Amino acid sequence: MKMKKWLSLLLAGCMLAVCLTGCAKETPPENPGPQGESDTPAVSLKVGLCCGTSSIDDKSFIQSAWEGLQKAEVDLGVEIGYLQSSDDSTTATLEAIADLVDAGYQMIVMPGFSFQQAAYDAQSLYPDVMFVTIDTAPWNSGDDSYTIADNTVAVDYDAEQGGFLAGFGSAIELKEGEFGGLFGVETDHTKLFITGFKQGVIYANENYDTNIRLNADNFVWSGTYSDAALGQQIAAQMYENGINLIYAAAGSTSLGAFNEAKSRAENGEKVWVVGCDSDQYEDGLLSDGKSSVTMTTTMKQVGNSAYFVIEEYLKGQYPGGQYLVLNVSTGALSCPAVNPNFSSETQSLVDEMTQKIANGDYVVSKDMVDVSAWN
Amino acid sequence: MRKKLNAAKCRPLLVSVLAILFGFVAGSLLLLASGADPLECYLYLFQGGVSTTTRIFNTLANAIPLIFTGLSITFAYKTGLFNIGATGQMMIAGLASVVTALSLNAPRAVLLPAVVLAGLLAGALWGGFQGFLRSRFNVNEVVSGIMMNWIAHWTVYYIVSDFFRSATMVTESRTIPDAASLRAAWLCGLTGSSSFNYGFFLALAAVAAVHFILRYTVTGYHMKAVGFSPEAAEYGGIHIKKNTIQAMAIAGALAGLAGVSYYCGYSASIRIGVQPSQGFDGIAVALLGNLSPAGVVFAAVFFAVLQTGKGYMNAMVHVAPEIADTILAIIIYFAAISKLVDLYFNRIAVWLRSRKRRTNAGKGAGQE
Repeated sequence: MKMKKWLSLLLAGCMLAVCLTGCAKETPPENPGPQGESDTPAVSLKVGLCCGTSSIDDKSFIQSAWEGLQKAEVDLGVEIGYLQSSDDSTTATLEAIADLVDAGYQMIVMPGFSFQQAAYDAQSLYPDVMFVTIDTAPWNSGDDSYTIADNTVAVDYDAEQGGFLAGFGSAIELKEGEFGGLFGVETDHTKLFITGFKQGVIYANENYDTNIRLNADNFVWSGTYSDAALGQQIAAQMYENGINLIYAAAGSTSLGAFNEAKSRAENGEKVWVVGCDSDQYEDGLLSDGKSSVTMTTTMKQVGNSAYFVIEEYLKGQYPGGQYLVLNVSTGALSCPAVNPNFSSETQSLVDEMTQKIANGDYVVSKDMVDVSAWN
Repeated sequence: MRKKLNAAKCRPLLVSVLAILFGFVAGSLLLLASGADPLECYLYLFQGGVSTTTRIFNTLANAIPLIFTGLSITFAYKTGLFNIGATGQMMIAGLASVVTALSLNAPRAVLLPAVVLAGLLAGALWGGFQGFLRSRFNVNEVVSGIMMNWIAHWTVYYIVSDFFRSATMVTESRTIPDAASLRAAWLCGLTGSSSFNYGFFLALAAVAAVHFILRYTVTGYHMKAVGFSPEAAEYGGIHIKKNTIQAMAIAGALAGLAGVSYYCGYSASIRIGVQPSQGFDGIAVALLGNLSPAGVVFAAVFFAVLQTGKGYMNAMVHVAPEIADTILAIIIYFAAISKLVDLYFNRIAVWLRSRKRRTNAGKGAGQE
């Protein structure tokens, strides 16, 4: 008797399952994402963002890229989508790319150096799909070479120029004190930010009579882009040791530094953070909603770069096979247009410096600098 | 009598199926709330997992590390231990196998077994040490496991970045030579260039081995006895300390193989600063598989279907990528409280039986 009950239960379950699958099959094969929905001019281009394990609201790099795509959706009428992968390995990234390609995406934006091998494999696997690598270029581990196929555009930045402006502006504004830095995983790209930042501070010290101390030991690699708790711990230690401003370029790990700075600022301490990638003024807002601990941000216009490539494609000038290096002169790197924590003099000096770098009147070095003279 | 036994055997399956069903129902509510059509989403989810040869074998490839970690946790659980340190065991094993692959210059016939063995041993040592801490100093293996996950994390970080760092990809090791990879050209060609690899056969062999050890060997019997009741086992003359170390070493070896299959099969290098999710996912796989070696295989494949399919689902319909993870989480939740569900079933069964007896008695009374 009992057995029968179990059987009937199981049968009921099976029937339900059959019903469900039956229904699923009956639904008419809809084309995903009907184009009629948006009132922007319909252009048949689907652009997908490959996020890796980061999310589109990381308040930093990926978010910036996604905002560029969103802008393209509104202005240019392209269809957009994004996809996270289960981990950052090349295999997982290739699976994500396969998902996007199977879903009909024609252009795939891949922001981040971790995609270089996947981009290399993908550009030959899917010759009809366009790939845009940002901050990196397709790289083959087999023979350790970079190859940009005709369907790929590689975008890179002179990141040191952005670091320079942030360091310079912060030094001019604070005049006295000691600066430190919090970064993610040690990469050549992040090193450019750091050396630029240091050069900016030193330039201010040498030419504008500021007295900002720098100690190489206070520029720390947290080893991760996603550990806000660790970021907060490191930041707390730095502020405790008398550091006034932290250059935080560590993705979500940076948010820990912002939290620490905010809680200290609420208690009347004078501490600051410099953000990275997207304008992070909001992340530094105190509970009064008026003042922020964010001195300024190194804006890297990842999104604009993606937008630029999409726009070029729609004009029929897709720069396939090219390696584009963007910098201050192309507007890809800058401080935010509005920095509420900068005085007007500081802002005008930063603007002046921006002009100088853009014109090539001042060259920021890509080499690491020795700061032992400024301890 | 026989029928009753069968019914009892069916119950774990029913509980797992119900957990999955509940997961999908709850997921549907979430999808509805976010304005998507659940049926359409689930269709894409399964299409993404099994619609083409490549996808089917990618799913199986994704299942490999999960089978190993699921087995590892199952095995430890059977011996009364909770192996939460599978993540660390995976990482250390991955490090050992990648280091072997990068340092040893040998033909494939030697290199590949060496890579597998290195990972297996590293995992066994890492897990065995947790067993040693437990038996010698009475340090709970959950605490030491979590702590040693982080030791593994930073060990990998420093060793890889100091000695085996890739020239261009600073966050990962150099890529291992093809000769050291569990992937094979013929398998790749046969499966539509998927990431399917030898690891799958290794995993099935491990399932059989675990089943055999637990079922048919004296060692397995001893370890299970310790799991059921340490006091009784000791009273029966079983050496608890030795068994604890042994059990954790075997669990560690299994998680180690997960590391090998992940870093030298699925991937071809080891990344620093990230922990593989399969360590903790293994707990869910083990629970959903009702802590049986065969169950683990099905649970792992099911997880892998969702894992592989969720990308396609997210690419086809614009729903938050967290939805698929949430469905997984709900399934895990229901699988985890399966004991509760079990109890609930018992109650219903008892209630039904008593009601029947009462009505029968009532009928009987009426007839009289």
